[in-house]
Amino acid sequence: MVGSGSSAPGRPASALIWLFSPLLTGVCAVAAVLSVTPAARAPVAWCGAAATVAVALAAAEAARRGRAIATLRRRHAEREAALQYRLDQHDAETWRFARDVLPEAIKLMRHGAPTDQVLRVTLPAHDLEPGFAAAHRSVVRGVIEAIQAEEALRDVAHRAFVNIARRMQAIVHQQAYDIRDMEHKHGNNPDVFGDLLHLDHGNALTGRLADSIAVLGGSRPGRQWRTEIPLYNVLRGAMSRILEYRRVDLHSVADVAVVGPAVEPVIHALAELLDNATRYSPPQTRVHLTAVDIQSGIAVEIEDAGVGLTDEARRRTDRVLSKEGGLDLDDLGESPRLGLAVVSRLAAAHNFLVSLRPSAYGGVRAVLVIPPDLITASRFPGGDIARAPKLPPAKKKRRPGSIPAQPSSTSPLIDSPVPPPLGDSGLPQRRRRRGPAPMPFGRAAAAERQRAAARGPAERRPPAPSAEREEEQPVQPGLWLSAFTSGINGELPEQDGRPISDISSDKKE
Amino acid sequence: MSGPGPERTSGPQPPGNPDRLYILTGGQERPAATPQLDLVTLIVSRAESDTGLAPELAAVVRICDFPLSVAEISAYLELPVSTLTPLLTELLSEGKVEARPPVPAAALPDVQLLEAVMHGLQKL
Repeated sequence: MVGSGSSAPGRPASALIWLFSPLLTGVCAVAAVLSVTPAARAPVAWCGAAATVAVALAAAEAARRGRAIATLRRRHAEREAALQYRLDQHDAETWRFARDVLPEAIKLMRHGAPTDQVLRVTLPAHDLEPGFAAAHRSVVRGVIEAIQAEEALRDVAHRAFVNIARRMQAIVHQQAYDIRDMEHKHGNNPDVFGDLLHLDHGNALTGRLADSIAVLGGSRPGRQWRTEIPLYNVLRGAMSRILEYRRVDLHSVADVAVVGPAVEPVIHALAELLDNATRYSPPQTRVHLTAVDIQSGIAVEIEDAGVGLTDEARRRTDRVLSKEGGLDLDDLGESPRLGLAVVSRLAAAHNFLVSLRPSAYGGVRAVLVIPPDLITASRFPGGDIARAPKLPPAKKKRRPGSIPAQPSSTSPLIDSPVPPPLGDSGLPQRRRRRGPAPMPFGRAAAAERQRAAARGPAERRPPAPSAEREEEQPVQPGLWLSAFTSGINGELPEQDGRPISDISSDKKE
Repeated sequence: MSGPGPERTSGPQPPGNPDRLYILTGGQERPAATPQLDLVTLIVSRAESDTGLAPELAAVVRICDFPLSVAEISAYLELPVSTLTPLLTELLSEGKVEARPPVPAAALPDVQLLEAVMHGLQKL
């Protein structure tokens, strides 16, 4: 290359060099002709001329080839430079492709951009020849399609997860509902009731698993609560979903409530943490559950006296807990990680702060901080009763002797016509009592019947007013018998759905 | 991914709150039947309800300022008797409530009357 560069300006010199050899030969030939004897001059001159011509020919040929070589070199250099330029461009484009274009395309894909838009974004920056650009585009398209296929697969898997979990949740909810009914029905039979509680517990565990699958599939856990739930009940709800709830000690609980949409996530996250705590601590130790007010919300602490976390385990849990991205299938490999993965998802979705630290007992102290926007004032200080939608007006009750006289004989419900008692029953007809009677519940019905007996037949009146009336009256325990006797001359009062009917029927037995 | 549709159709919603009954009795799934408590035992509170109690216990103490039978408490709190019994036993052992045998039937009607009632009821 260097030679070719120097050859272009040195071309006259090379031409001179080319002339130099024949000239030198010619001069030598002339000198030889002059120096030899005259007799030998003619052959020497011939030989000298021939040699000079030969040298001239050779030199001319050499010079021609030299020029050809120079031209070729020049062309070659130009070509090489062009190729180098293209190579550099391709290098740069490939680098850009790897460093910027593909990540950008994947990011766009993750956000659901259509293929065309992604392709537009990933157009080559330089002017490349069509073949290379086409290959480039086809690579991008191939990658995009692969990603799309993978995302679609993942989406289908998630949907399948969620779908299965939803069905399981529906079954579990139905079962819980049924078990609740059965618990009510068989509340007096300790054996059946104990079995029902056992079933209820197993059902709750199944429900938690279904909720976990739903959460890992990117959905919400369990049912939605419309109203806020006292934190006390939330914590008990979390306790009720783990296997060894007997080992959990529920200590002081801040008197607040959790807003409805956050109830189920809190319960579920706490249940997973409690499950970890009970699972990784010796069976004879207790797990302490407290909830305290802190500046940034409510901190729920779960402290166990287990084996604690090794450094490696702690790194792993921190890694799992800090992972906010999509479902990592590695997390599903081992069952112990399932719980933490669920907690991490819930925490990311609802801004809980979760940390696992060594406990003073040697075990683990898990703290879940519920942010203040998920906390509200509790309508039931100290917690709500497990399943009482209403409580009796307790303070209205009075001692049996202090029952006020009731204007039952003038109450409007007796004025209405009622069916006649069984006149042909053969039972003794009682005289209507005057004045206040000690028993509100049976007496009103009895008086009603007495009045009806006096009035004769008329259309049947629904018993609702009398039931309402009884609702207002305090029930006097222990005096049911007199009420009953006062009512035996007629049919039994209809008391559907009233607690008192259960009581009186219970007492009859 | 999961619309509100599947939420709604996920079975009947159990009422109330997330508590389950087995939590209330502290894990006694089979509460031992205490001989001194039956359905008609009257419970009356001996102390004011304080904040340290579980809500159910506090409610029992609160509504029992007037004697209530076990069956009535069960009905008011909507708790099955089998759940209530261990709770009451706990309250009894702490001296927060007192159990009284049911009011003796001082004015028990005579047997003939009861038989008449029985026959009358059977004829209905």
